[in-house]
Amino acid sequence: MPFLSAPMWHSNRTHRFRLFVLLMGLIVGFFACPSPSSATEPQADLSASISRGQQLYQRACILCHGKAGDGDGPDAFYLGAYSAPRPRAFTEGEYKFRSTPSGELPTDSDLLETITNGIPGFMPFFSSLAESDRWDIVAYIKQFSPIFQETDKRTPIVLPPGPLPPNRESINRGHELYTLLDCEKCHSPLAIAPNGLYEQGELRDRRELDILPPDLSKPASFKNGHRPQDIAQSIMTGLDGTPMASFRETLPRPEDIWHLVNYVLSFSRPQ
Amino acid sequence: MNRLRQTKTKGILLSFCFVLVSQLFTTPDTHAIPAFARKYDVNCTVCHTRVPRLNRTGERFLENGYQLPGTEDGATIKKSLWGDLTLDNVSNYLGFRLRGNILRSVEYARRAQGSNIDGNPQDRTEFGFPEVFSLFAAGTVTNNVGFFVELESNLEEDATGIERAFLTFNNIGPHDWAHIRAGKIDPSAYSSYATLRQQFELVGDNSVDNGSFMLPTVNRIALSPSAFASKFYGLFDRGGTTILPTAPSLFHAVAEMGIDIHGRPFGEWFLYQVGILNGANEPFGDSNNPKDWYIMTRFDLAQSTYFSANLSGFSYFGSNNAKVSTTDDVSWSRYGVAANIRYYMVDFYAAYVVDRVTDLPNSLESTFDTTATGLTLEANVLATDRILLGIRFDHLDAGGLRNQRTSNSLLALMAKYYLRSNIALFLRDDINLRPAHHGRSPARNFRNAFFVGADVAF
Repeated sequence: MPFLSAPMWHSNRTHRFRLFVLLMGLIVGFFACPSPSSATEPQADLSASISRGQQLYQRACILCHGKAGDGDGPDAFYLGAYSAPRPRAFTEGEYKFRSTPSGELPTDSDLLETITNGIPGFMPFFSSLAESDRWDIVAYIKQFSPIFQETDKRTPIVLPPGPLPPNRESINRGHELYTLLDCEKCHSPLAIAPNGLYEQGELRDRRELDILPPDLSKPASFKNGHRPQDIAQSIMTGLDGTPMASFRETLPRPEDIWHLVNYVLSFSRPQ
Repeated sequence: MNRLRQTKTKGILLSFCFVLVSQLFTTPDTHAIPAFARKYDVNCTVCHTRVPRLNRTGERFLENGYQLPGTEDGATIKKSLWGDLTLDNVSNYLGFRLRGNILRSVEYARRAQGSNIDGNPQDRTEFGFPEVFSLFAAGTVTNNVGFFVELESNLEEDATGIERAFLTFNNIGPHDWAHIRAGKIDPSAYSSYATLRQQFELVGDNSVDNGSFMLPTVNRIALSPSAFASKFYGLFDRGGTTILPTAPSLFHAVAEMGIDIHGRPFGEWFLYQVGILNGANEPFGDSNNPKDWYIMTRFDLAQSTYFSANLSGFSYFGSNNAKVSTTDDVSWSRYGVAANIRYYMVDFYAAYVVDRVTDLPNSLESTFDTTATGLTLEANVLATDRILLGIRFDHLDAGGLRNQRTSNSLLALMAKYYLRSNIALFLRDDINLRPAHHGRSPARNFRNAFFVGADVAF
């Protein structure tokens, strides 16, 4: 009996296979249609830019930053779990990486720079997106917080001329400043491990999560970049929402910032 | 002189070990990690809840052919030009993983006094070296064209070979509408509960092959998710080798030769997958002219408040892909649903799968049960930044030869300690919830297994 019924079974299977091939052909043919307009046009129209930004956000950003931009996407918890950082909550209007003074919003260029370069360790760089796409995302994420609409005050601070050559004199002056400004309270005298405040659980971010100060001997891990001007900017503006305050007002002389930068970079340079 | 040299060598080795171990225990958990993390300069946790399980970003990265979600960045990012092709630096596409047990202790039900049942295994405790080594290369060669090759060596099973190898062609048409994989692929990769990247690593069976179309002697059953397992006693591949009831198969095969297409044409909430495989459990070639094919749909819900969930349903249609005797082919198919829910530190999985064998010879109809089911429930909880706790329940309602088939229920418990995000030590205990006091079924003789092991990825 099985042998008698076998051809019929086989015929059914062949029919099923043909249907499958037809289905695959239809799918591939449908998808092979030319793509609708890509987001490479200049952002002349803000609402169109925001709309494109929303599409891109929902593909590339939502998984960490969440649907409403609260920094609570499905992957947000596991990024740092019980310690900082969690993804930025755009709704709060508070940003770590800015060229503007502490407490102010970042410029659009600051937001673009973070999207482009990512954050070492925690956010991949999206430089592969077209620049116009990245501007569209900037336009969209600003919609999450009304503060961007309420204030136009987003003036970058001006760094003094520099950087200065990292000579012995400059590094020694940087060391004095490092001590004077109590940097070692968080970054330790040797800069290679967190100091007492972290171990005592006193270093916490706005969400009350433990935050580990960077290892100054590994500048590639600096979240705001490791070029001298990046480090200078971090010291001058502070990283809002973290224990890293702005030292713009406390530096004795403006040019001291470059001595301090030279001292910080000396931890990773051969002596 | 020789003794001096030996002492010196021993000293160097000890120093090396000391430095290595002290590095493992003292280096802060900043940048680990394997190839993709090196390429994008991020931690493992950008793509994994905890290695090896993928988070949503990791899933999208996989779906997009090893390109960041929302991008088509296969071209030049962090790459070297090679004629018209662009290739990553070696360290950005080459990685390895070593995993397995350092200590294994297996306990069986005691034999009745004076009994002499052949093949009844003995309790055993043994030390070993992590037995599974995988070397993998993956990346893109240009926009939307990717590759993946994984070579695996399993000391316990004495097997080395290509585990998976395929090409990907991505974003055919509008972005994310269609991605194609062709080669030796893992069909369940995009479903809610995938076969690979399990926190509970598959523990293989211990069995003796008794020849073609002969049932093997199984001393210890494999410890694997019942939903993914073959589920039938007395099923053979077309070459006559037994398909063990605990081995992952069909839609949940670790790898099969074939081609599939998947995409999200309607947005992030819906994923489709359609594929066609040689089937027949053949590593290469296709003695079985009709193909197996499958369709899977997945619905993703919620994208905020640290919560996400998804639900998958699939049908896998087998065609002349197995045998129950030397002469007759049978068609072995599978249908099922799976779900995954994540909320803060809790990661929960469920899968319920039904297997059916059709085209059974009339002569076997009374002796072969053609339906089998498997249920697997798993929960992982990240108790601290470094400690992951896991529990898994498996229930197999086996089919196949009525005088052989034995259903079983197992409970697995695990604690995993992450020294770094890519280096973990684990303790695991598997308990048979339905042990027999005597008898010859390996599914009931097994009582308890305890493992201490390591899982390292670079």
